[in-house]
Amino acid sequence: MKNLFWNLTAILIFIAVIFFLIVPVSMVLIGSFQTSEGGALTLKNFQKFSMYRTYWQSLWNSVSVSLAASLLTILLAVPMAFLVARYNIPGKPFLLAMSTIPLMVPSFIAAFSWILLLGRAGVVTSLIRSLGIPFESIYGHGGVAAIFTMQFFPYVFLMTLSGFNAVDESIEEAGRSLGTGPFKTFVKVSMPLVLPSILSGTLLVFMTAVENFGVPMIIGEQKPYLAVQAYMEFTSEIGGHPGMSFALSVILILVTMTSLMAQRYYLRKRNFIQSAKGRPLVRELKGASYFLATGYCYWVVLIPLIPFLVAMTVSFMETRGPVIHPAFSLRNYIYAFEHAARPIFNSYFLASMATLASILVGVPTGYILTRRRSIVGDTLDLAIMLPFTIAGTVLGIALIVMFNSGLVVLTGTWMILALSYTIRKMPFIARSSSSILYQLDPALEEASISLGVPPMKTFFKITIRLMAAGILSGAILTWITTISELSSTIVLQTPGWSTMTVEMFNGIISDEMGLATAFASILIVSTTIPLFIMMRFIKGERASLF
Amino acid sequence: MSGISIRGATKRFGDLVAVNNVSLEIEKGEFFTLLGPSGCGKTTLLRCVAGFVDIEQGQIFFGDRRIDPIPTHRRGVGMVFQNYAIFPHLSVQDNIKYGLKARNVPAADQAKRVKKVLSMVHMEGLGDRLPNQLSGGQLQRVAIARVLAIEPEVLLMDEPLSNLDAKLRIEMRGEIRSLQQNLGITTIYVTHDQEEALSISDRIAVMNHGFICQVARPWEIYSQPKDTFVAGFIGATNLIQVEMAEAKNKMLVGKCGSVSLGFPLQDGLVAGVQVKLAIRPEFIQILYPGETVPPTHWLLEGRVTRMEYLGNMIKYEISVTEEIKFLILNYHTDPSQLKYLGETVKIHYPIERALAFREDQRT
Repeated sequence: MKNLFWNLTAILIFIAVIFFLIVPVSMVLIGSFQTSEGGALTLKNFQKFSMYRTYWQSLWNSVSVSLAASLLTILLAVPMAFLVARYNIPGKPFLLAMSTIPLMVPSFIAAFSWILLLGRAGVVTSLIRSLGIPFESIYGHGGVAAIFTMQFFPYVFLMTLSGFNAVDESIEEAGRSLGTGPFKTFVKVSMPLVLPSILSGTLLVFMTAVENFGVPMIIGEQKPYLAVQAYMEFTSEIGGHPGMSFALSVILILVTMTSLMAQRYYLRKRNFIQSAKGRPLVRELKGASYFLATGYCYWVVLIPLIPFLVAMTVSFMETRGPVIHPAFSLRNYIYAFEHAARPIFNSYFLASMATLASILVGVPTGYILTRRRSIVGDTLDLAIMLPFTIAGTVLGIALIVMFNSGLVVLTGTWMILALSYTIRKMPFIARSSSSILYQLDPALEEASISLGVPPMKTFFKITIRLMAAGILSGAILTWITTISELSSTIVLQTPGWSTMTVEMFNGIISDEMGLATAFASILIVSTTIPLFIMMRFIKGERASLF
Repeated sequence: MSGISIRGATKRFGDLVAVNNVSLEIEKGEFFTLLGPSGCGKTTLLRCVAGFVDIEQGQIFFGDRRIDPIPTHRRGVGMVFQNYAIFPHLSVQDNIKYGLKARNVPAADQAKRVKKVLSMVHMEGLGDRLPNQLSGGQLQRVAIARVLAIEPEVLLMDEPLSNLDAKLRIEMRGEIRSLQQNLGITTIYVTHDQEEALSISDRIAVMNHGFICQVARPWEIYSQPKDTFVAGFIGATNLIQVEMAEAKNKMLVGKCGSVSLGFPLQDGLVAGVQVKLAIRPEFIQILYPGETVPPTHWLLEGRVTRMEYLGNMIKYEISVTEEIKFLILNYHTDPSQLKYLGETVKIHYPIERALAFREDQRT
């Protein structure tokens, strides 16, 4: 009787996951084995995949560029995390705050802004060439990997940093006292303890990179990438059966799922998370090494912010198509608000609805995961892992396939966009809620019940109340990342329900610099202001929310 | 106020039987302690009474009201938790009012009761404090005040003192005991600390592996343990395995290798039966020059193999042979009386103080 409410909730959430995620994705899976709608099952699409260079090259490009970005990220971010954790780098709160910005601002804005600087006719490009250094442009695989690295390095940095901070000083001292020198202790003791954190961060980099749509679309130079190719195949197959798009989607899911499985397998027996009694001593660097270390950290954090400043500057300039005149003007903004007020409203509206829905579903889910472990709860735990493995583009395609016809038709409405965002973000809310709950002593709820307040009322009076700060910061992060979403939006949007990201993307594609930069600036402001408000009010806990 | 009756309560977690067919009668106003090592089922049994764990078999009554099918919030229990479980977002008085509001007590009465219970736990004037401004001991006082405010039918305490430091623990246990006596409230108290249990309880139930080993008053538990587990768990004791050898003028003699040990007469012991002897360290004395051994004592000789000077007493380990080592607590702290490592000493114990447990009769 006591468990009835929660079991019922779990079952409802489970049904929703099946109906809105598992069935649509399965339809894509089945479709990938068909060449016409409802046709016989065949391997033809996958044969085609292995035969045509464009297709298998897209897999190779996506995986190799994402791997390269992951490795570069480790090389850049791990030393920096070590320096910030253990040495007297000045302005650490500032570094931390700045390093979260790239995660919040859409990566295709960065790609686009780098074109302004390092494109074929970019300002910096001509500068480099005038110095006699042969430099083509940022276009191509190298550029995609570089932008992924700059955008996603904070995942590894923040997770490794909290990993280093969680290593108890006495553990390192024990190593030292047993006769290993500082360097050897670092390699033999600290590194193995922090490795799980590094790998978790790297996996996030790889997964976000592999599913990324905007960056390769903008600077990938028409070279095939899985997410882009799946989208192109889907939109070019109007009225027909997009079997090839489905096949590419399935391959993309396989890539992300494999990497997630590999990480889970590795971490299975390596849960070293320990709560440090005292933070390790911050050691003093002096002279040249102090300036080198400080300079390094600030370069890593500040360079990725350059494109955003560039975009904001350009947005206040006179533009005509791709040509920029160095004169102050508000025309871009006037144009944006006159002609595209609707997309701005849409973005805010959709992000708010999706955040609301994510909380309504995610918080009870987190509660069930932590406090109501049962077969239903365990299955739910697995089910909400799924959205992590499904690229935005693929989810968009799956939702259109499912809700284009039949009992529930959602294609073309705002609901399908909000639904897609909710599916993608709800697991984050569930995970962060459950990690807050892990830290809440269950005795608090029991105390309330034993004082005479029934369990349901206790949930609202005590549990929710104590989770409020965590839920709020989760909500703000959800809102920020939703308003920047492009990869599923680009598939699901219709003329009436276009968003800022879509308008911006179209502006970039059609060389409308002014409009694109104006939207980019509005987006940057819309994401960074809530982020800083959140940081002011909620200290710490940041890394646990990603 | 009412007594508690637990009849055949059983709770399993998978293959583990946490509470195994436990029956207890706790009297009205009694301070009853569940004592045992971690994992013995004492906390689970308490949580069964509280209603956080459902029993699979058996029944639980408060007086003649059967409560095991009733959800926790309607059982009328008050529970004090190990980690205090003070609501961190509420002030001290709001924590105390929490249960009163749930009972729809009028606001004026709420304030009166808050004042009353705060003075009971010596926290007058601290009602407006937030929990993060309080020390561990104060938090525990608030937890107790919060429970007393709702005037529960029974009071349940789950290792309430284990997070406090040693000195505060002793102070608080005295206060808990006198509060309980003044209010006459039926209390079940869970602890793994045998000294705490002995000092605070009317009766103690010693638990192990989900079973109740013995239920008795503190001095009975200490001086007449029912089996070797209770004997070993409560206080320090010397346990020596002997083989029953012979009966000889009003006592029995067992052998451990070449050494003979005397113990009181017991029915049904024949030669060859394995027996475990339990002798408390404080009953074993060193024979000093000029003293004689009373006829009811058993005399042994050994070497000092360890000596710990503790100020008010001295702990010796006396090895009679390689296998037989006695722990002794000795109060002759006069420096001239000290025995040092390697010295040979004579020791003796009252034969009636050697408790014999048959190996084949272990419960």
